[in-house]
Amino acid sequence: MPLAPVDESVMIKDLVLDPYPIYRRMRAETPVVRVPSVNRTLLTKAEFTKMVKDDAELFSSNDPESPMHPAFRAHTLMRKDGDEHRRERMAMQKAFTPKIIKTNWAQVYRDITAEYLDRLPRGETVDLYQEICGPVSARILIHILGLHGASDEDMMRWSQQLIDGAGNFGWDPDLFAITDRANQEMNVLIADCAERLRAEPDDSALSLMVNAADPIPWSQVEANIKIAIGGGINEPRDAMATIIYGLLTNPEQLEEVRRQEAWGAAFEEGVRWVAPIQCSSRVAMDDIQIGGCDIAKGDILMTVQASANRDEDLYEDSENFHVFRDKNVHQAFGSGPHHCAGAHIARRTVGEIMMPALFERFPNMTLPDPEAVKWRGFGFRGPINMPVTLN
Amino acid sequence: MVKVTYVAADGTRTTVDAAPGSNVMQTALDNDVDGIVGECGGAMMCATCHCYVDDDWTEKTGERHDGEDDMLDCAADEVKETSRLSCQIKLTEDMDGLIVHLPEEQA
Ligand code: FES
Repeated sequence: MPLAPVDESVMIKDLVLDPYPIYRRMRAETPVVRVPSVNRTLLTKAEFTKMVKDDAELFSSNDPESPMHPAFRAHTLMRKDGDEHRRERMAMQKAFTPKIIKTNWAQVYRDITAEYLDRLPRGETVDLYQEICGPVSARILIHILGLHGASDEDMMRWSQQLIDGAGNFGWDPDLFAITDRANQEMNVLIADCAERLRAEPDDSALSLMVNAADPIPWSQVEANIKIAIGGGINEPRDAMATIIYGLLTNPEQLEEVRRQEAWGAAFEEGVRWVAPIQCSSRVAMDDIQIGGCDIAKGDILMTVQASANRDEDLYEDSENFHVFRDKNVHQAFGSGPHHCAGAHIARRTVGEIMMPALFERFPNMTLPDPEAVKWRGFGFRGPINMPVTLN
Repeated sequence: MVKVTYVAADGTRTTVDAAPGSNVMQTALDNDVDGIVGECGGAMMCATCHCYVDDDWTEKTGERHDGEDDMLDCAADEVKETSRLSCQIKLTEDMDGLIVHLPEEQA
């Protein structure tokens, strides 16, 4: 069989600005395609992305060329397979269960959301992305992880720095110098918090890990917390901003969501439409064919779930935001062993708590100039501002 | 082929034909049975495929697998003695007629 075609025309900067027209063309013309600027083979159809993610033996997460390793100064569970991955993940998974959230945390999260909403002025135009989406996500994460003492600003900065480092495919030493400093700061905080949690255990992720009967190595405790910081702020923040945009630019849908209290469905559609994590890497462990193209052992594939989520085979009018779809089986949380560990939390905090609280507090909120909203990102994507008039 | 019946939380019953070797989660997805999400594709990492095996069938479906208990803790709905992750129930010929009940919520 032939090798996958090569697309020299696609540049990273185009993908950062607006990847969707590019993915749409790829789905139609070259669903398996080598893109030299990204140095990977992109898979843009839902069938292929799911197949690759579900088969961890044939498609390993252990990408040797991932900038994640230097960015996190660790071999994190994101880049591991099999039993080692499961053990490290399960060490903190219980802090992320629906039951723990419902019984122990839901009220705390409601209070946090209310407190941040209290600070907002009525009748003015405010950047919700800056004032709410990021800070509320950060504050809630501090509780989930057990990192009391961290500020919202620290959490948001670390999260962004880790993400920038993990996406540093150009291996820019300045970016790794920044993540080095962030790692030092986080290590100090994690050690302090661990000491406190050993004395006073709670249901936070860090407490579970340090108080476990058979704890994972300290290096992996640190790595797990950093992965959660990297993944636990941007994703709810971006999901929230995307859903706000989708609802405010489709007022008839917003009205119906309110009437039916369909915030969960709005959440699912938001993350389908613009998946906060747009793509992931996997390494082919054997020679194989995908979509009629030869993939050689060792090739690095990029599953583009952002594109899978708009696959015309699965969705009608896939490029647009429609809360009330018949079926909305999307891959925003991935699939297979690395299925997002925070999926339940995201659904409950963003979908069940943050969104209804915001729209209840400001029932006549408007987005006066949708064109003013800027979207960015290739690996991670969402709006970077959300100027909304609060009423 | 074996028959599997899914009983939704509201009592609606859906019976489908399944191939031995497939699992109860995948069979539901292949037949558009609502109430099972199976978001991790059977990797035992999402707990969105939770089901309660009908009392008459628990012997045939056997014990929970290694790690299944821990993941069941992550299920959205109440975990009972008959709770299983449906992706971990592999259908065999002698499960013809299997009945599983579905929880109200999966995510
Ligand atoms: S499908 Fe995810 S645990 Fe069964």
